[in-house]
Amino acid sequence: MDQFLQNLPAETFTSMIVMFIVMIFSVIIFLKSKKVDPFKKPKGVMLIAEWLVSSIQNMLASNMGSYFRYLEPYFLTIMLYIFIGFLFGLTGFPSPLSYYLNTFAVVLTAFVLIHFHALKTNGLRYFKRFIEPFVVFLPINIVTVWTPLVSMSFRIFGNILAGIILMTLLYGFLGYLSSIIFSFLPVGINSLFLAPFIAPWLHMYFDLFSAFIQTIVFISLAMLLIAQERPSNTSEKSEDHATA
Amino acid sequence: MLLSYLVVLANHLALVGPTLSEAVDINKGLIGIGAGLAVGLAAIGPGIGEGTLIGQAIEGMSRNPEASDNLRATMILGVALAETTGIYGLLISIILLFVY
Repeated sequence: MDQFLQNLPAETFTSMIVMFIVMIFSVIIFLKSKKVDPFKKPKGVMLIAEWLVSSIQNMLASNMGSYFRYLEPYFLTIMLYIFIGFLFGLTGFPSPLSYYLNTFAVVLTAFVLIHFHALKTNGLRYFKRFIEPFVVFLPINIVTVWTPLVSMSFRIFGNILAGIILMTLLYGFLGYLSSIIFSFLPVGINSLFLAPFIAPWLHMYFDLFSAFIQTIVFISLAMLLIAQERPSNTSEKSEDHATA
Repeated sequence: MLLSYLVVLANHLALVGPTLSEAVDINKGLIGIGAGLAVGLAAIGPGIGEGTLIGQAIEGMSRNPEASDNLRATMILGVALAETTGIYGLLISIILLFVY
């Protein structure tokens, strides 16, 4: 048991830390939202929370209609996990999404939702989609089932991995360059002077910009793929439902 | 001019060549070529695709400046989707270099 715990990859514990951060954030918003006056302008944490919830509700309403409104907490959680997972690489610890199985698990939840809804609306006619339009298309249709899973998980994993490798090479090169320029200083210290000025700009692209883009892409793709499984007798646009 | 350059290069290779073939395995060389080709050929597609996409987005924004926020958000989404196949090539290249 000790041997097993010692050999676990570091990203397992990092994933648990990210989950704790998401939980604490949610609990703080829950406790604060009881005391806040709904008619005044929000400030601080409530502003962020209201902006997040309203943006997810807008995306849900425009992509999926009002039939899938119960999926709003799921999308909020996934968005927070992926965003904080990307940003966690800015501390020195490895980001949880840099271990492929974590990313695969996150996308597997969306995959299970897609196929659960497909089975719920279609029943046993779900298996008819493998034969459309001709029986010869069976291998192509089987691959089409697994493609969203692989492509969504590899998009996130590849972005993080490319960022890690490029930043490692950059830090190594900047250390070497700095130790040549500042060679009048002792050996351990002369490699530390160039990286703090050049690396943050690249961190802004690889960690911050990438986090925003990849969460938006993942949420939009998951919403579109789930919305394809809507039963055909509900209306397509959210404006058809009269709301007060 | 070119002839003299070729003579100097051939001389250099004759001196350096035999030592290189003893030091480096041909397997590692082939893996290196494979890794280079993987990401090199995989980067052509997204380059062309994203360029076309952004061009069409800019044309749409110029015809209809009011929709420009909507177009910008959709363009960023499309760029990230088109980038995926380039990342597949990078992944294969990294696996080749660090596992074999």
